[in-house]
Amino acid sequence: MTQVNLRELVLSMLLSVTRDQAYSHVVLKDVLDNYQYLSKQERSYLTRVFQGTLEHMIWIDHVLNQFSSVKTGKMKPVIRTILRFSVYELQFMDAIPPRATCNEAVKLAQKKGFGNLKGFVNGVLRNISRELSHISLPGREEGEAEYLSLRYSMPMWIVKEWLGQYPVGQVEEMLASFLQEAPTSIRVNTSRISRDELIRRLAEEGIAAKPHGELPDGLFISGYDYLEALETFQEGLFYVQDVSSMRAAHCCQVQQGDTVLDVCAAPGGKSIHLAELLSGTGMVEARDLTGFKVGMIRENIKRSRLTNIKAVVKDARVFYPEDEASADVVLADLPCSGLGVIGKKPDIKYHMTQEKIGQLVALQREILHMVWRYVKPGGTFVYSTCTISRQENQENVSWFLREHPDSCLLEQHQYLPLEGEQDGFFLAKLIKENYE
Amino acid sequence: MALRTIRVMGDEVLSKKCREVKEMTPRIQELIDDMLETMYQGNGVGLAAPQVGVLKRITTIDIGDGPIILINPVIIESSGEQTGSEGCLSLPGKAGDVTRPNYVKVRALNREMEEFEVEGTELLARAFCHEVEHLDGHMYVEKVIGDLYEVECEE
Repeated sequence: MTQVNLRELVLSMLLSVTRDQAYSHVVLKDVLDNYQYLSKQERSYLTRVFQGTLEHMIWIDHVLNQFSSVKTGKMKPVIRTILRFSVYELQFMDAIPPRATCNEAVKLAQKKGFGNLKGFVNGVLRNISRELSHISLPGREEGEAEYLSLRYSMPMWIVKEWLGQYPVGQVEEMLASFLQEAPTSIRVNTSRISRDELIRRLAEEGIAAKPHGELPDGLFISGYDYLEALETFQEGLFYVQDVSSMRAAHCCQVQQGDTVLDVCAAPGGKSIHLAELLSGTGMVEARDLTGFKVGMIRENIKRSRLTNIKAVVKDARVFYPEDEASADVVLADLPCSGLGVIGKKPDIKYHMTQEKIGQLVALQREILHMVWRYVKPGGTFVYSTCTISRQENQENVSWFLREHPDSCLLEQHQYLPLEGEQDGFFLAKLIKENYE
Repeated sequence: MALRTIRVMGDEVLSKKCREVKEMTPRIQELIDDMLETMYQGNGVGLAAPQVGVLKRITTIDIGDGPIILINPVIIESSGEQTGSEGCLSLPGKAGDVTRPNYVKVRALNREMEEFEVEGTELLARAFCHEVEHLDGHMYVEKVIGDLYEVECEE
């Protein structure tokens, strides 16, 4: 008889992120979908070790490098990865005896064809498990940025970027927030059920729900295993959506009968929210670049059972003359570096670079410039990102205002990650002047 | 000790009933050692003699707490129920849900041909059932609820 080897699975998941540049949330979702038969404990072990190792990887490497003569940069990827998640287990998972962690790591190394490195893996991990409580970080006085980078496993360039914009205390709060366990935030489908009624239904399914303090349709939930299996989810009574996305739709302040254009809409959460806010009137057009993405939007629309919304494949970088000045509200939630959602997608901090941000700024400007033309005179334009980057956010808005004399900024706000309950994101609301 | 070739589903040896072991011989001792090695090499938690082509009522089991050798095993008690995934070295890369008793008591002979009893719950109970069925020519796929899953791991 055989059993699924969870650590082997974690190893291949981590390798696909660190070596093959896959998105961590996609890797995790695929595995949880494919291995639905695993028990709740097994699924939560997988999730926790996978996410946790990525979240704390810089600190973990710092620890490994104090105990291993071969530095992490020189290790074979399989061995490095086994050591990384084993150190995570040693430090963060009290329920797993250190001996088990070491033994399993050795067995896995052997299984993967590194029998000759068994002694190395065993030695490094046993030393670490003995010394773990004495491992030190460099002192803050020797360099604030370096300390923060190691303590919170955030690449130096990002730490420096934020230290240039915010006071140290605030940066530390943000970094800490990314490492906090975040409750899942959901948005009530208010066209189908009231928030109070949904709380009651969720309780019947064994799920604790806590209302969001400010947003009338937001809830935080915890205590579920596989969300997609919930009856309330299947009935489309709520969506999983971050608070920041909910704010984006509220920020649009749509009026009954409005024509709304969401130009980079996949998977469609904000578009559907907007359609709900229109209470069955008007029309929301949700666009994205590819048939695959639009397919995702359509699936979500179907589940929502709304009729004042449609999804179409249209490229935000291309001008469609038939759409000129057609929309009362245009929402441009654009591709961005995603530095605000590192708490949920820890791979971002390792994959993003300053160079990529430069390319993203160019893309954002191209799209902003193009889709502005779809706004009716007097109409509203909302630009949003899920990042904390002055270049992509405030500087793009300043650029836009200079380039477009008929634009007027009503408000802009950089939200910072908050105690795990909210992602970092940016919202700017503009109006197109009506010269008539 | 040596690794033995694991027979894959479709091989008729897997659907035959095995014979009882009447006396211990050096060849059988060697078979048991080989079965353990083959089981560990394949990352299995249990292996039955027909899986290496020998029609004898012998199984080796190790769910991580050390090896258990069962010769002529008989399930003498079982209770409760568990449903969970199970795979088999004779059907690599696949797994499926099977409902098994949650508690099982087995009577068998050890390597010295002395009778003993052993109890197990959860995974161990599952392994007892799975292996004893091999000795009667049965595989877990006959009991799978729904479809088999692919459980391939890259590399």
